[in-house]
Amino acid sequence: MELFVLEHKRLWRTPRVLICVALCFIYSVLYGGVLSFQWFVFGSEGEDTTSPYENNFDGYSVIRDYQEKFSQYGDYWTDETFQKIVAEYESYDPMERPGLQSMGDWMVAQSFLNHLYPELEDNASQTYQPLILYADTEKLTDFYGKRQWYLDFNIEVARQGGLLTEDDIDMLQEMNSQIEEPWKYEWTQGWNYLLTTALPNISAKIAPFLAIALGFLFSGEWHDSTAPLLHTTKHGWRKLARVKVLSGLSFAVELFVLIAGGMVIAQLIYFGTSGWDMPIQFIKEIAVAPWNMLKTELFELAFTFLGVIGYAGMTMLFSSLVKNNVLALVLSLSITYVPNLLGRYLPLWAQEVSQYLPLVGSPSDIFRMNVFHIFGKGIWSPYMLISVPIVIGIVCIPFAIMGWARRQKV
Amino acid sequence: MELSIDRLTKHYGHKIAVDRVSATLTPGVYGLLGANGAGKTTLMRMLCAILEPTSGEVRLDGKDVVGMGAEYRDVLGYLPQDFGYYPSYTAAEFLSYIAALKGIPRERAAKRVQELLHMLDLSAVADRKIKTFSGGMKQRVGIAQALLNNPQVLILDEPTSGLDPKERVRLRNLLSEYAGNKIVILSTHIVSDVEAIADQVFIMNAGQFIAHGTVQELARQVKGKVWELTVPSEQARLWQEDFTVANYRHEGEQVVLRIISDEEPSPDAALCEPILDDAYLYHFGAKEA
Repeated sequence: MELFVLEHKRLWRTPRVLICVALCFIYSVLYGGVLSFQWFVFGSEGEDTTSPYENNFDGYSVIRDYQEKFSQYGDYWTDETFQKIVAEYESYDPMERPGLQSMGDWMVAQSFLNHLYPELEDNASQTYQPLILYADTEKLTDFYGKRQWYLDFNIEVARQGGLLTEDDIDMLQEMNSQIEEPWKYEWTQGWNYLLTTALPNISAKIAPFLAIALGFLFSGEWHDSTAPLLHTTKHGWRKLARVKVLSGLSFAVELFVLIAGGMVIAQLIYFGTSGWDMPIQFIKEIAVAPWNMLKTELFELAFTFLGVIGYAGMTMLFSSLVKNNVLALVLSLSITYVPNLLGRYLPLWAQEVSQYLPLVGSPSDIFRMNVFHIFGKGIWSPYMLISVPIVIGIVCIPFAIMGWARRQKV
Repeated sequence: MELSIDRLTKHYGHKIAVDRVSATLTPGVYGLLGANGAGKTTLMRMLCAILEPTSGEVRLDGKDVVGMGAEYRDVLGYLPQDFGYYPSYTAAEFLSYIAALKGIPRERAAKRVQELLHMLDLSAVADRKIKTFSGGMKQRVGIAQALLNNPQVLILDEPTSGLDPKERVRLRNLLSEYAGNKIVILSTHIVSDVEAIADQVFIMNAGQFIAHGTVQELARQVKGKVWELTVPSEQARLWQEDFTVANYRHEGEQVVLRIISDEEPSPDAALCEPILDDAYLYHFGAKEA
């Protein structure tokens, strides 16, 4: 235990690590969270803009206004709710500033219209106008029936494309049947941004900093010329390796808690908890998961957490196998950057496999109907994407310990 | 306690770094002398069981040190030639960290750290980061860490490098005092370091022990081969080209040369009492040494 405390303390006191943690926090929580909420994403649009994003620095009050405004449409999403919202948009002059986006939740209404009521589109018009500005509100009926039709249509397309088997379809439809109707409704835009952008992006933001912090965990001992010394101490081989791995994993957990905790605190300050029990179908109407926003957020946090642990495991393995810091860092960074940069040039199967790597796949699969087939059994993709990276990381750990012990001969 | 080295050999490809070296070491101080590249560091790493020999073995009281594993490391203290440290640690923290790695219980370690800091004159800077230390201070931290577990086998690779004369004397005294019933092996290419404290000296060249014995025995090996000759200073260079010259001292317009030679270099040369330096130079020649 004492060795762990000393090793962990040493890791946290390394200037490189401290800089990484600080930059990661600034980039993820301050830039990706607080400033996005207050300025880039939710700041109001206006003539007198203060940023290249053309938003004012007033996100906090804008969010309050949205929450208040959309709470007036009732607690549940019904045909009447939909009609009222669309009617309000239709009364709006699209040439006015601030633009349509400033009315909040326009994207969800527009998406419902485009996907569920395509027959209302004016195909004869020479100029494009969003459907939300002219749709006949009288015809916005049978919302849930339309949604089921659209879901069935997409499932059928996937079946015909060979992406889903009959068993898969039964599984997805069974999940879908558990979605309670009518849907609870409040302002959705905040949750939408959180669950499709802010939280999924944490993974990509943590990865490089974690690689820099942990990539040198073992290889750094060669760089610092301390390896020969450590290897002649009683516990310098396997026990130190175990302690280093434990320290690396603890660091990964602490970094995750710092970043995710910071994001959650920022979220609570800006959005509060309202709307937590809305279904995620407001984000994507054909999502089949019978999950609400809170459960999905927990899933996404767990997804990132397990990815971080898996990534830490892989990074420590690379660090233990090479004596060169730069090589250890390059190998660690390649876990995420090679699939992202070369993904489009890889065959489809390789692209799919790469999604299993820690911090490569996205928790956004929660909104999709992808199914992986393992030994003939269909498994909904989020279950695979959340579990495989941590398994990879855990498998790497004994090899990292053995890798370090193997390097005992210097 | 006996540390036996049995035909220890290390090859790097076709290059032979250590070539069938054998010796039996009992408690005492052993000096390993040799020029750079003679194989000293390779030998020391094999003695520490961190470098696998190509053939041969090292045994402590009859047990193979590689097989002993942690049991051997528990009685081993090692100062590597290129001693690495953690720049952000203070001297006291670094020693506590190494003490934990050596498996020394916390309370005993804390006491031992203080003792060693005092012994190596580092108490005043115990809480300063090592990265702010001079080379000599860092080297003393390295020596302190090697002594933490009160090792039965202490192996120091170039322990005096970076130390000023006062610190070297302090280290010599410390090692002499420490040795007692322990085996202390120190490698160096500075003859005076081992001359003062080594019970036995091994001279190493091209991976082999080419001579060994006490300081006196080694010096005796060159008895009758060490000469002093006084020549005009303008002739000194010519003598240096033809003979191994151990020393060169001006006396007015003349130069007194200390020459190592099997033959009498000149009828004017006078035999003198050899020292370890002479033995070392006899084996290596002035240029190589």
